[in-house]
Amino acid sequence: MDNDLILIVVVATALAFDFTNGFHDTANVVATSISTRAMAPRIAVGYAAILNFVGAFVSIEVASTIAGGIVEADLITPLVIFGGLIGAIAWNLMTWYFGLPSSSSHALIGGVVGAAFAAAGPDAVLGEGLIGEVAIPALVAPTLAFIVSGLAILMIYRIVGRLRPGPVSRGFRAGQVISGGLLALAHGTNDAQKTMGIITLALIADGTLAAGADPPFWVIVSAATAIALGTYMGGWRIIKTMGSRILKMDTAQGFAAQGGGAAVILAASHVGFPLSTTHTISGGVMGAGAAKRLSAVRWGVAGNIVVAWVLTLPAAAVIGAGTYGLTRLFGTGAVGPLIISVAIVAGIGAAFVRRLRRGSVISAAEA
Amino acid sequence: MSASLASVVDWSGLLDVAWVSLSAGIGVTAAFALGILGATRAVDMRRSGNAIAAAAYTVLMLLAIVAVTGAVAFALLIMAG
Repeated sequence: MDNDLILIVVVATALAFDFTNGFHDTANVVATSISTRAMAPRIAVGYAAILNFVGAFVSIEVASTIAGGIVEADLITPLVIFGGLIGAIAWNLMTWYFGLPSSSSHALIGGVVGAAFAAAGPDAVLGEGLIGEVAIPALVAPTLAFIVSGLAILMIYRIVGRLRPGPVSRGFRAGQVISGGLLALAHGTNDAQKTMGIITLALIADGTLAAGADPPFWVIVSAATAIALGTYMGGWRIIKTMGSRILKMDTAQGFAAQGGGAAVILAASHVGFPLSTTHTISGGVMGAGAAKRLSAVRWGVAGNIVVAWVLTLPAAAVIGAGTYGLTRLFGTGAVGPLIISVAIVAGIGAAFVRRLRRGSVISAAEA
Repeated sequence: MSASLASVVDWSGLLDVAWVSLSAGIGVTAAFALGILGATRAVDMRRSGNAIAAAAYTVLMLLAIVAVTGAVAFALLIMAG
């Protein structure tokens, strides 16, 4: 009974994380389409939510990596996963509150690794998987998206550079319906699978599934639904601030950025690399901007992303380890997770109200 | 350290991601740009009374549409498979 309750709390927490992931990342997926007026904001957000949902069903390679390639499944308990999830959610909330760019994916992986380390020592962490399947692809993917989008926009300008701008702009605006859809699909594929992997890991730790099992269908459906709902809910906040906050780019640049980002994320998802979709999309946008004019890119933002890269994994790991330790103060039952969950919900409520009173909750959410 | 790093990184997977991303990302955007070139030039040629050139550019546009649609569908089929 106690184990079932812990599992329910862990699954609910994982889905809450998935929801915040969709909520947090909507801006990255739809910003380009809205800023170039390829799609009306309401349509772009709804379209992204639907394709995020569909994307979650496309592949399970990333879920397998998360469930079996980063921590030793045999040494993991549901309490460890709970600690990791809280580490990720807490770090996401902190960065959201202070307006820092961060990767939900790195926070999730860092949190789980930290909690596993605290629970079972270094043997619980698969260092090779962490470096080979997370850290190195995390560095390669944004760079690759930068190069692909940069080369793509140079190719586009070479082909259509001498044409009348009107038809070209209309053509790429239509093309952004395809590239934006692929980007939303790619986002759903890579990010929803991380939650699927975590829930699968919890089911393995609980003894419900055998080690190495694929995510059950209900896990795929619930993860897809949570990220799609998060995307849809997050999108409405963006509409009010979209016009002023997004870097202006032409429709061809938007098409190249979305196409480059989607190509990298979809290819990596097929191989099973759990990327930061945020960083990859940012790489694509910067590549499309830099190829036209180096000064078009906000290099300060790029610097912040690099700082977030360095900080997110260890910070989430420390919080995940601390949360696991705190949970164990209440024993191995469901009391610890329940108390911490209530405290987290109360903390989120207080932070949200405080932000709301300052009147800057929308801009912080989209930072 | 470098030897151990080399052994833990999935170079084959990374290489796959690199060449697929480069070929798909650049290939599809180039094909789409050729489609726009074909569509725009076809209209211009038709207006100037050059029917043969207009037909050729229309063919270019149609080939580009087929290439883009085929590439996207092929990618999704591989992903789903």
